[in-house]
Amino acid sequence: MPVIAVLDDDAAMRDALRDLLQVAGFTAIPYAGAQAFLADFAPGRFDLLVTDLRMPELGGVELLRRLRAMGANLPAIVVTSSSGPQTKAQALREGAFACLTKPVPGDVLLRCIGSALDRG
Amino acid sequence: MDEPLSIVSERVGAAAQPVRHARPPRAEEDAGERRYRRLLHRLPIALVQIDARPLAAVLGALRSDGETDLVACLEARDELVRTVRQIMYVTDANQAAATLFGAATADALVRPIDFLFQVAPEAARRMMIACFEGKRRHVELMKVRKLDGRVIDVELTVTFPVPPEQLDMTLLTFEDVTDRLRTEAQLRQLQADYSHATRIATLGELASSIAHEVNQPLAAIAMNAETSLRWLSRDDPNLAKVADLTARVADSAHRASEIVHRIRAMAARDVPERGPLHLNEVVREALLFVHHDIEARAIDLSLDLAAGLPRVMGDRVQLQQVIVNFLVNGLQAIGQGNAGRGRIEIGTALDEKGAVGLFVRDDGPGIDPENLDRVFDGFFTTKKGGVGIGLAICQSIVAAHGGRIVAANHPDGGARFSFALAPAAD
Repeated sequence: MPVIAVLDDDAAMRDALRDLLQVAGFTAIPYAGAQAFLADFAPGRFDLLVTDLRMPELGGVELLRRLRAMGANLPAIVVTSSSGPQTKAQALREGAFACLTKPVPGDVLLRCIGSALDRG
Repeated sequence: MDEPLSIVSERVGAAAQPVRHARPPRAEEDAGERRYRRLLHRLPIALVQIDARPLAAVLGALRSDGETDLVACLEARDELVRTVRQIMYVTDANQAAATLFGAATADALVRPIDFLFQVAPEAARRMMIACFEGKRRHVELMKVRKLDGRVIDVELTVTFPVPPEQLDMTLLTFEDVTDRLRTEAQLRQLQADYSHATRIATLGELASSIAHEVNQPLAAIAMNAETSLRWLSRDDPNLAKVADLTARVADSAHRASEIVHRIRAMAARDVPERGPLHLNEVVREALLFVHHDIEARAIDLSLDLAAGLPRVMGDRVQLQQVIVNFLVNGLQAIGQGNAGRGRIEIGTALDEKGAVGLFVRDDGPGIDPENLDRVFDGFFTTKKGGVGIGLAICQSIVAAHGGRIVAANHPDGGARFSFALAPAAD
């Protein structure tokens, strides 16, 4: 069962993502911020990352950059609320598999996760 | 204790006559007295002379009955005030008073003082208390009914003679403040209109931040609903999970509606409403409007709210407006240059005078010292495209709350805006 890390500083959104992934048969591990996730990160531990972009302390783009620098080959899907096209482009340049805008229909997110896992 | 009324009227019986008639002009009335009367009649301010000796007699009777708390006594015994209003007489009045009360001649006002206090009987009580407490002057805003029945707003000033002057020469002046009060009301309305207009403008500037705040719970609701449907469509529906998800849908819906409620309060054109408020709560509510901007720009926000602050009397929305304005200014200042890393401090505290204070500090370039005195002036702005009304409105809001507003530069850089309000009386 693929393990997916879920990053969102908004608790309600984080829980919603976790439960959707659970019902779809994934193991979801929620994190309130990038620092907590990085502290928990180990190569091979996660199969996929679902992350917000705007988060206090460490933003999503910077997190993707660090993961890449670490050589972590972790597919990532960005789920963001109102980030401008520039930030989204940045995230894609840093290797994000896709950028989705909230509210994201569940089937769209799950399809996207499916293809990211297939490719990974 | 209920019989003193009769005692009082016995004791003061002699004085309970229109004294003017008991004291006809005498040939030996000295020149000083005549000059005084001439002056009284020619003064352009409405002046009424009353004989307060019956009042002194009533108060003396109460005092010798051992009464010390006249306020409580008069509240319990309304009839005492009514009696005094009947047994005290206007003994003289000038032409200005006749005009103010709409009387044909000044003589028409020579009668029991009752007519002066028909609309505001409590003013008579306060006048009695002032006399009892040995005050020289008593001033208050009150309403009086003119002889034609119209009610006007006046400022009453009572001047009690001090010994050896006689209490029969107690002077009351009435100034018609109807126009003044109307103008003040219009100014307040104008101020409310302006502050409403700037609130709307601020909401416009913060639209994307606010949209994000509402979108977040809505996105969670949509996702939770879909997840519920997925659980329900399974062969063995997980109802416990669905119940949990539904509860969270309700939570998020409440959160969204709370945000909408606050925005509507900000946008509404309501008459300012004063009530006791916890300033810390107002700060937290104000932060909602800029929360997203602060996060999106990775601004380091530090919140230092003092615990156990007394409440302040104020209008929630207007005070929110002031705080939001401070925060927006801070955000814009940080955007102006690379003076700091992007840091905003907001805090509340009790100051050394016992006032409840709030400050917002940014680490932007600060205020040009030349402009420090002018930042609260209307139409003063250093911003491109700025109108220069925000801080002027803030100042008028704080002033209307009886507080003071201060703009300063922090010694370590950046601007610091603050205001302080007196604690609400409990």
